[in-house]
Amino acid sequence: MNEAAAALPADDAVAETDWQRLHPATLLLAIVKLGPRSVNFLPALAAIGIAGKWIYVIPALGLFLLLSLVFAWLAWLRFRFAVGADEIVIESGVLARQHRTIPFDRIQDVSIEQGLVARALGIATVGFETGAGGGKKDDARLDAIGLGAAQALRATIRAHRGTAVPVVATGAGGGAEAAAPATEDRLLFAMSPKRLLVAGLFNFSLAALAVVGAAMQLFDNVLPFDFNIFNPLDWIDIAEQYGLDQWVVAHRWVAGVGAAISLLFIGFASGIAMTFLANWDFRLTREPRALRRTRGLTTRTDVALPVRRVQAAIIVTGWLRRRFGWHELRLQSLASDGEKEKDHQVVPFGRLDEIDAVLAEIGIARPGADRPWAHSHRIVALGGFVGAGIAALGGVIALAVGQPTGWIPLAIAPLIAAGAWISAHFHGWAEVGEMVAIRSGWIKPKTTLLPFASVQSVDLATDFILRPLGLATLRFGVPGGSALGSHEIPAIPLDIAKALRARILGERGVA
Amino acid sequence: MTETIAAHPIDPFAADALNAGEGLDPVDPAYSHVLRIATLLKALPVAIAATLVDMLAIRPEGGPYGLLTVAAWLLGTIIVVTFPSRRAQRWGFKIGDGQLRVARGWLFRVDTIVPFVRVQHIDVGQGPIERWFGLSHLVVHTSGTHNSTVTLPGLHSDLAAAMRETIRRHIQTDFA
Repeated sequence: MNEAAAALPADDAVAETDWQRLHPATLLLAIVKLGPRSVNFLPALAAIGIAGKWIYVIPALGLFLLLSLVFAWLAWLRFRFAVGADEIVIESGVLARQHRTIPFDRIQDVSIEQGLVARALGIATVGFETGAGGGKKDDARLDAIGLGAAQALRATIRAHRGTAVPVVATGAGGGAEAAAPATEDRLLFAMSPKRLLVAGLFNFSLAALAVVGAAMQLFDNVLPFDFNIFNPLDWIDIAEQYGLDQWVVAHRWVAGVGAAISLLFIGFASGIAMTFLANWDFRLTREPRALRRTRGLTTRTDVALPVRRVQAAIIVTGWLRRRFGWHELRLQSLASDGEKEKDHQVVPFGRLDEIDAVLAEIGIARPGADRPWAHSHRIVALGGFVGAGIAALGGVIALAVGQPTGWIPLAIAPLIAAGAWISAHFHGWAEVGEMVAIRSGWIKPKTTLLPFASVQSVDLATDFILRPLGLATLRFGVPGGSALGSHEIPAIPLDIAKALRARILGERGVA
Repeated sequence: MTETIAAHPIDPFAADALNAGEGLDPVDPAYSHVLRIATLLKALPVAIAATLVDMLAIRPEGGPYGLLTVAAWLLGTIIVVTFPSRRAQRWGFKIGDGQLRVARGWLFRVDTIVPFVRVQHIDVGQGPIERWFGLSHLVVHTSGTHNSTVTLPGLHSDLAAAMRETIRRHIQTDFA
């Protein structure tokens, strides 16, 4: 550890006294994290045990834990950061030293995240999103500092951004920014427990079922009682104990109903549980320059989304929840949301008027109900038809070689074709001022609101099927990823596509 | 988007008419030679492999010896001789009016427009085959996730450099 003595040359811009360390409670967090990590050490312990040297197991484990703690302590000791006038400097690494300077100008987003243990300790992880190509792993993090210090740091960076960055007229929110100058924070959208419950009911999910099923298999021999809720025979067994066996054997459907009810229960329960975990105490607030979202039950996240960085708004819903008037709003931005999501969910479950209120803050308006939608050509259903044809062909071949399961694809094929045909009727677009609205989907209707100013490039694509019909597909390059796919208007008449392209890019040319 | 299937226009000169009709400039004719050599380098190993299979597998089995070899070399020759010039003709571009327009392909034709102000950075690249013919390719990067790079091959190196300078003047350094 001779590197500990050889310090890097001090940064001229940062005085020696400005250096700060992470919160000491981070060391406690390191101990908590040690638990799962020591699992890696188990094979080595097992090898020692198998070799018959049981006496060494405890010292070896102790040595491993001690070394881990020493290393965690060294890492903590060697990690320091300093907040300068217009940059943040981070030095880290025990053996390989790293010195990183991040100008405030380049920080697009500051996130604050608190896990369960971190909340108990009053500390938070601060993440700096710089938009570097490498994604999340390349972004700098302070893991972790006190919650108060984290919020102060974010306020510092925001204040700097506010003064240093000139207003760019091309920004999507430029108009809204002028209309709503820096006022104090105000609550835009929140989710009450009742709303969460309703959202959870619509989140019916059988994803947890696989986990429960696997666990049932795993613990089948461990559990004191031998009962698998997915096994109808077990339901017959339980009925037998109550003297119902005769009746159940006569009415086997009761067992089936029992299994179905348990399936439904698990689906609803897991949906509600996941909604509560993710969106507990959901709050969306309008700050002078950003929308700020806090949410989460065990892990609370706090994300600020600069209004000027919003590129597009996406409203999604489901065929059932639309009947009840529920929709979800996502914003596509240059900054990505966490590791899983590519766009920002700002209204997970709300009414359209609530969504309109949020959209108004970023200067985007939904097309009114009276606005006529231009439709894509029905040829967009072709892909579904081809898929259905292939399924039917596969089914016929299977039947021909004597596989009775061939009936399944044969029966599904018309459903696929019908679904594609119905979905094709929902493809449409409308032009609203300097914005284009694109909608698609039937099972999962999606409406994208794309300001012209966000468009980076336009593809006009035709192929051997669209060209004879005089059609073209417009595809837009928009900054920031979306989990919901690329933005395109499929199969519209060539002249209209060309005119729309000219209008979108013309908007750009003026600016 | 590479075209490997022969797309026969009704008019044999349609490929030229395609670019002219859309107001696009064609790429350097020498680009067809670049494509031809690149295709040759890809087709040659396949043809040799087919010959080896013919000699080592089909002849001992008493199959139709020679059929596979002849078919592979014939097909390879057709692909190398005819397709590259067609593919090169279907590339078109137009620079000016504050935007770069790149069109490519016929069976699947994609016509991309990138406004200069939306360009993040530009590359001019040259491969070994392109160097023989004095050509370069221009790569334009945007911040969009779709179309984050737009490539225009088959430009004379001087033209590529001139286009780069033209676009460079329009690039905004800070897009915040």
